Amino acid sequence: MTAVLGADLGRGSGPLTGVGLAFRRALRADRWFWLIWVLVLWSFIPATATAYRSTISDDAAGREVAAGLAANPTMRAMLGPPYDLLHVGGFTMWRVGGFVAMISGVMAVLGVIRATRAEEEAGRTELLRSAAIGRHALLAGAVGLGLAASGVLGLLIAASAVGLGTPVAGSLCMALGIALTAAVFVGVGAVTAQLSASARTARGVGLSVVGAAYLLRAVADGSGSGSSVRWLGWLSPVEWAPLARPYAAERWWVLLLPLVVAAGLIALAFSLEARRDHGAGLRAARPGPARGGEAFDSADALAWRLARPGMIGWGVGLIAFAVVMGSLADVFETVADSPELAERFRRMGAGAADLRLAFFVAMLGILVVLVAIWALQLVEHIRKEEESGRAEAVLATATSRPRYLGAHVIPAVVVPTLVLAAIGVLLPLQSGIATKDVGLIGRVLGGALALAPGVWLVLGVAVAVHGLAPQLALLPWVVVGWSLVVNWIGGVLGFSESLLKTTPFGLLPRLPAEPMAWTPVIVESVVAGLLIAAGFWGYQRRDVG
Amino acid sequence: MRYVSAVIDISGLVKTFGPTRALDGLDLRVEAGQVHGFLGPNGSGKSTTIRVLLGLLRPDAGTARLLGGDPWADAPALHRRLAYVPGDVSLWPNLSGGEIIDLLGRARGGLDGPRRAELIDRFELDPTKKGRSYSKGNRQKVALVAALSSDVELLLLDEPTSGLDPLMERVFNQVVAAERDRGRTVLLSSHILSEVESLCDHVSIIRAGKLVESGTLADLRHLTRTLINVESDSPPRQLAEVPGVHEVQVTGRLLTAQVDATAMGEVLGILAGSGVRSFTATPPTLEELFLRHYDGTS
Repeated sequence: MTAVLGADLGRGSGPLTGVGLAFRRALRADRWFWLIWVLVLWSFIPATATAYRSTISDDAAGREVAAGLAANPTMRAMLGPPYDLLHVGGFTMWRVGGFVAMISGVMAVLGVIRATRAEEEAGRTELLRSAAIGRHALLAGAVGLGLAASGVLGLLIAASAVGLGTPVAGSLCMALGIALTAAVFVGVGAVTAQLSASARTARGVGLSVVGAAYLLRAVADGSGSGSSVRWLGWLSPVEWAPLARPYAAERWWVLLLPLVVAAGLIALAFSLEARRDHGAGLRAARPGPARGGEAFDSADALAWRLARPGMIGWGVGLIAFAVVMGSLADVFETVADSPELAERFRRMGAGAADLRLAFFVAMLGILVVLVAIWALQLVEHIRKEEESGRAEAVLATATSRPRYLGAHVIPAVVVPTLVLAAIGVLLPLQSGIATKDVGLIGRVLGGALALAPGVWLVLGVAVAVHGLAPQLALLPWVVVGWSLVVNWIGGVLGFSESLLKTTPFGLLPRLPAEPMAWTPVIVESVVAGLLIAAGFWGYQRRDVG
Repeated sequence: MRYVSAVIDISGLVKTFGPTRALDGLDLRVEAGQVHGFLGPNGSGKSTTIRVLLGLLRPDAGTARLLGGDPWADAPALHRRLAYVPGDVSLWPNLSGGEIIDLLGRARGGLDGPRRAELIDRFELDPTKKGRSYSKGNRQKVALVAALSSDVELLLLDEPTSGLDPLMERVFNQVVAAERDRGRTVLLSSHILSEVESLCDHVSIIRAGKLVESGTLADLRHLTRTLINVESDSPPRQLAEVPGVHEVQVTGRLLTAQVDATAMGEVLGILAGSGVRSFTATPPTLEELFLRHYDGTS
């Protein structure tokens, strides 16, 4: 490393001096992060392409299924606009292409912030900046790495799609579309990393951009053809890859949009970085109050205070998601289903013949996993507090262990459950009012509440792990990650019935499409309660810190 | 309870972390009203001991009593009567220093407003800055003000001056001296010996999780040697034969020697009859005590 620094010293001292070193350092530190993300995202493409014939058979029945899928607004809202479902390439692009493009945005935002603001906040870049490293070198290294990872993802997708025999032009268009979408979010991550001194805030803003982009395109695609909001899709970066129509008379010029926007965002990030101090956000740090408020007096108050920014972000985001998705439901018409379609909808929306109900059930399935992720993040505070030594400071006061744990666990149980109930009301609200079917709201609310034990079960696993085996902290994340895959795309990916049930939500009744089943609801609630109790029991007996 | 007056009474304490034996049969006794220096090199088990006393770690063997209670079972109740300053202070990045002081003080059972204001003033702390923007020394000040603002019986201070500048160290010494005068018990862990020397009346030295020495500063000085420098017309070489006198060196009219406390009377008697022009005696510093215990030689 000394040799590299020495070499760079000789080459002058521009703002980008040492960018090679910065790139290699970021690669070395985050190689597993990028490798796993890229491989997992890429794997969806060959997995879907090879499963194509098992979904759409090469006969009249297959064509009917394809036509039904293409016309179904639920599927359009979730996955994007289909252009050609009768060939493996077009079908793959529709089923997972848009999804991979969106999740590559999540990867890019997290990856860039991880190598820039998170390092800066931890104080690790200060030492590097004291070496012969230009002002923009670290950001340039992180952006370069993010773009390289996007490029590798694109290459893998293109190679595997061509290898599986899909047309070359379509393969390139799909790969380029996804890679450029990732590049746009490299830019988003780079810009949000400049805004605030906190990596957590930067991540929140960056991921909100991904979420908003998804919502925009869901509204555009889910609304009926000829709808006045169709153009909204053009505003959403995660819609540009589908809009380039890979495998369906490619519109290459559409890809100029992500190219220009990515370049613009990256340029903006550098100019913002030039305007701020190292370690600071764009705004100077504002002083806080010299005294704590009257009620700021206990572990409970502290836990609420720590959860507050996330509560606002997640609560507002989830409720907005429910309202926007709810607004799509009133354009649905009940269509006569072919047996194959009925089967598909049964799996997607738990067998509701009414397309509207099927839509609500499918949306609840997606939203409940997001609620669980949020709930998990709330209990995650306990672990971060312990790792940073701040839990020790609070436990050295007259705060008992159960009180301390409860201060974090109770809001994590109560608030997401309330938001889940709010989703159950808001999702069917517009449709219920439009059709004067107030009972619908009650039925969908019941459907939302029937899924709550799944959220509690995830929390139970997290609390039990924290109390009994804190080294397994990743386990609850694996559970929700799997639930996300299963609930979001498991149905369309053709997962088997038994595989679909392997999540905390899989065994719960999908009201109102299915009849109420009390046994799984009660069993999961009791198990969740026991796990939480076990976590409290363990936390009182183990070393802290 | 055997010792009613002991604020801290630890005996045979063992704590292991995997293969590491952090505490290996530690004994420690701190009486009420003592300012007790808890000395040891890095990694000797000082912080582990304090965290056992806080009920954060559960000992594997031995007993620990704190303020007459069990530090593990009675933690919340005992914590109302003590305040703690960790060696490595981590603050909530989005809370202001003032909010953190109030939170910790109130969670402990209340804090003394005027005293809080006085301490903030004396330590020259800006309580409106956010946790993330404090320097190391200022983070330490936040923790100190939070601990010292409460009216408690016992202060557990784990290397409390790390990161403080010399001026602030002096303020800290004055504040702790005032606490001592008000009758509080203080356990002050440190590897900075001058700090302990100026503040503490009792000292315990630990090494590798074991107590190696404990007593008043005066007691410990008995255990070691005073360096004497003598200028005399005829330096008394016969000092070398006195038991308890070591390393006698004579250079012209100058004599230096190391004298055990037990031999001091005899040495002074001999010197009195040898035309002494000047005499200095340097008592051992804690550095020397420390070196003696950790060098492995004596």
